[in-house]
Amino acid sequence: MPLIKDKQFVDDPFTQIDDQAALPDSPVIVSLARLQTEAQTLAARNQPLGVIIRADNIGKTKAGENVRDLTDYLPILSLVALEFPEFRNGRGFSAARILRDELHFTGEIRAVGEVAFDQWAFMMRCGINAFEVGAHVTLAQFSEALGELSKAYQPACDDKKPILWRR
Amino acid sequence: MAQHATKTARFQAVTANTVQQGEVVYFAENGAWQPRLDQAIIVEGNEAAQALLQKAQRPDAELYVVNMYLFEVVKTKNGFKPLSVRETIRAAGPTTRLDLGKQAQGE
Amino acid sequence: MYRYDEFDQQLVNERVAQFSGQVARRIKGELSEDAFKPLRLMNGLYLQLHAYMLRVAIPYGTLSARQMRKLAHIARTYDKGYGHFTTRQNIQYNWPKLAEIPDILNELAEVEMHAIQTSGNCIRNITADQYAGVIEGEVEDPRITAEIMRQWSSFHPEFSYLPRKFKIAVTAHKNDRAAIRFHDIGLVAVKRDIGEKNYEIGYEVHVGGGLGRTPFIAKKIRDFVPKAQLLAYLEAIMRVYNMLGRRDNLFKARIKILVHEIGEDEMRRLVEAEFAHIDAAKILAVPKQELDRIGAYFAPPNYESLPAESDILDKARSTDKAFDHWVQTNIVDHKIKGYAIVNISLKPIGGVPGDANAEQMDAIADIASQYSLDEIRVTHEQNLVLPYVKKHDLKNVYDMLAAQNLATPNLGLISDSIACPGLDYCELANARSIPLAQEISQRFADLDRQYDIGELKVKISGCINACGHHHVGHIGILGVDKKGTEFYQLSLGGAGDETASIGQITGPAFTGDEIVDAVEKLVTSYIDLRQPGERFLDTYRRVGLTPFKEQLYAPD
Repeated sequence: MPLIKDKQFVDDPFTQIDDQAALPDSPVIVSLARLQTEAQTLAARNQPLGVIIRADNIGKTKAGENVRDLTDYLPILSLVALEFPEFRNGRGFSAARILRDELHFTGEIRAVGEVAFDQWAFMMRCGINAFEVGAHVTLAQFSEALGELSKAYQPACDDKKPILWRR
Repeated sequence: MAQHATKTARFQAVTANTVQQGEVVYFAENGAWQPRLDQAIIVEGNEAAQALLQKAQRPDAELYVVNMYLFEVVKTKNGFKPLSVRETIRAAGPTTRLDLGKQAQGE
Repeated sequence: MYRYDEFDQQLVNERVAQFSGQVARRIKGELSEDAFKPLRLMNGLYLQLHAYMLRVAIPYGTLSARQMRKLAHIARTYDKGYGHFTTRQNIQYNWPKLAEIPDILNELAEVEMHAIQTSGNCIRNITADQYAGVIEGEVEDPRITAEIMRQWSSFHPEFSYLPRKFKIAVTAHKNDRAAIRFHDIGLVAVKRDIGEKNYEIGYEVHVGGGLGRTPFIAKKIRDFVPKAQLLAYLEAIMRVYNMLGRRDNLFKARIKILVHEIGEDEMRRLVEAEFAHIDAAKILAVPKQELDRIGAYFAPPNYESLPAESDILDKARSTDKAFDHWVQTNIVDHKIKGYAIVNISLKPIGGVPGDANAEQMDAIADIASQYSLDEIRVTHEQNLVLPYVKKHDLKNVYDMLAAQNLATPNLGLISDSIACPGLDYCELANARSIPLAQEISQRFADLDRQYDIGELKVKISGCINACGHHHVGHIGILGVDKKGTEFYQLSLGGAGDETASIGQITGPAFTGDEIVDAVEKLVTSYIDLRQPGERFLDTYRRVGLTPFKEQLYAPD
């Protein structure tokens, strides 16, 4: 899938690999489970490492994976991919903010899955800086989506100065 | 949402709302959508009903109508009428405002 | 009242442009219905039985006369001459055309109104006590907090795709008129001593209340959140909910289910932990300057110095019995001497609860301009309020209201029922609600009989979603569908105020032909059972369900 990162189309150096698959000699995105069990091996590789956090209704609480489980691994991570399994599932918005505001993660946060035109701007405000997009998406559309609302009332993870704080 | 038609339904028709106004319409001859139930195609039996629904669900249908479904009608001496209160109200208008909806437009 | 500044106005205008674009794309077929539906729902546009329905927000229930005139204009120009005031301080139009929605939104924007976040899984219109600022005994005007929350929650980037809708209500009075215990978050402004006769204002926080399929009374998770930390505390609650709320089952997605499943203590612990993270950042404390700026909009008006009593009023009451009744039932004491709070009943006998036509809206706007400092309030019980009427003007106000059939003296009485639109309009409904409200009010049309019965809140919902608040009716009525036919289930003893309780179901449901008789039996039972001074609810709470049930289901 095409990838927009920091408002530009870029080639995606990462490959998402299954838990059983052998590690290629290139940047990979692994599951949270694999990260937790093979952290040392993964860290020892001389390649950027990414992890995907699933937001779907898994686990006992059906709340998806907890982004705070990444706390110990952030130093070895270059990328966290947040899954948006359907348009209406907005868990990833909070996950991104926790990564940025609380865990101070500075690497790439990528939105993957059902990521639609009307959500890019809010995702960006929450600290997501990379987006998997459909094949038909143009950069013009992307900037249009970001520009629809020029101001914001509340602070978030971007540099928009909130209205409540600037009058 | 109330159930529109049961498996045991004998007579059925297809209804939807228009995209432009949300108006209640019925699937009628020549692929048209008409505002009155007496213009609708009524079919007998579940198989015919499914076939009718399929016919109504043309790829471009969404340009004109949304929320398409089958519902049950019954034969009366004045023609076919909806079985449920819900479809009766959809076909006529609010029961508390007889001056509004299709009932106000005169038949 | 609050006035938009350039920022507010620009955002609303941009939102109108954005949604107009979405409508155009839908009409041209560039957007599928599947893609358009969540977008229109974010902007209060539903598809109902006969037409689209547009829900317009009336933030914390405050309207200016100018805004009311605009609502009338929209009803006349784009709809069928009327609108419906809802239990969440919104107004709904039942017949707009899709292509005209952008025009309506542009007209609304001209008077600082919109339909933003009046539906969808986001933070909805913030509601408040309709007597805000004018009732004695208030800690402060809750609309200052409500306005701050309105701004904070508008286009919130993190909380616009929640598991389910999210409703916040605020009051600053011990008497709860905003049903805060039946909201996802209910706030009560309270004072806390900080020594040397000083106090600070903060909020008691209730979480996880709601009606619907599974009603719950909210749990109080904090006795006091200091004002400066309110937004941080709210974000903490919202984040816990957004992370943990169920998304696998639509019926379990509200925060009330989360609170119920993990328990009040665990909820409190999670929120406090989240709050510690967020508050640590200290970015959510609204600057004092901004608090003062917003507060200034809600500063008390320049009240005239008036005598406590008015001779004109007293004389009119002694000569006009109907007026006297109206003063007794529909007028509430104002905190300022010589002023009164006027309740306008939108429940004329046999009328549709909450409906007002364009002429009535215009008349109310005129009355507000002339007699109530241009201001109108909307109540969660689907009535309107004129908050600043001088006592000596009451008779004039009454006459003008009466001329528009708006002076029914029935506030809080059996004919002042709440009813959702029901199966006459609503796509989700299983049964009609409005005709029941009309029949009940006609059955009890005799005012002397209504006064004898006293306060009795009848609340009617046409389906389990409980938009008519049946769970908190002293008498609650729930419409159900049995094979395409309407049936009605009764419940007793609910209360939406500070004595919050959820009604108990009486037993088997009644048909549409039986239900009004059944209500009358309940009323008769109450009259037989009551002790002096007891309201229906008091009697019910004393004797319980059984005696009512026995009468209700006794063979004739």
